[in-house]
Amino acid sequence: MTLDILFLFRLVGLAMVGLLLANFIAAKRLSYAQNLAQSDLLVRQIFYVHCGYIMLLIAGLGFLCLGWPHLLLEGAMGRVVCYFFGVFWASRVVVQLTYYDPERRREERGWDLFFLVLFATIAIIFFIGGSITR
Amino acid sequence: MRVWLEFALTLAGFFLVILSIASVWIPKALGWKEKLVVLTPLMREMWWTYSLYVWGSHVFFAVLTLGFRDWILSATPAATAMTGFILLWWTVRLYLQFFGFDLTELEDTRLNRVAKHLLTLLFLSLVLIFGLALWWNLGGLR
Repeated sequence: MTLDILFLFRLVGLAMVGLLLANFIAAKRLSYAQNLAQSDLLVRQIFYVHCGYIMLLIAGLGFLCLGWPHLLLEGAMGRVVCYFFGVFWASRVVVQLTYYDPERRREERGWDLFFLVLFATIAIIFFIGGSITR
Repeated sequence: MRVWLEFALTLAGFFLVILSIASVWIPKALGWKEKLVVLTPLMREMWWTYSLYVWGSHVFFAVLTLGFRDWILSATPAATAMTGFILLWWTVRLYLQFFGFDLTELEDTRLNRVAKHLLTLLFLSLVLIFGLALWWNLGGLR
């Protein structure tokens, strides 16, 4: 089981690299710069700063999962980190289902389903990791 | 030295709790709702989602700092990585406080000035405390 979960954590790490790249694609595809152009300077700055911090978090998690996945299985702390990221990604599913505009989601049904499945899978892997941490 | 570091981490934990609680009022104080009207619905949704997750991360750091002090100072590779990550997080925020945000649009009231200085102090102390914790984990201060 330990070997399997380490493999799954590494897959999560790869998914994090993908999500990191997707953030750059999204910035262009969703025209962040043009959309934010009409807003106040502070609004623009806060958006980019928050976006940057989310990317930092994703990069850190990817780094951990690809390089040192066994650390996620060690002790109470490993369990806490696993459960935190389990809740983190599970809540992302809830946000997508309940908060994001249904019309927009329908327009992008393929991506909508892809990200829903991806986030749910990542959440499940972290919950499993948390439950078997020594 | 360890006793002092444990005390400093407790202090950092309380600072993070205060920041997390105060953050609930920031959208109202800065009038986010009104200012976000010009954005498309998707950008608005992303705005609130990102804000929520950044806030969630601060809550997580507070839980770690208050609930797992011994682990944070355990000098294990995991603890060193975590203190390094949190230090990076707050160092970036401190840098942005001085060189990133343009606060000229904010009303120049006494309350805003006090809040800005308090935030700067808070970020400075978090950088200092997590810097010391990282140094400890790397074998220094002993």
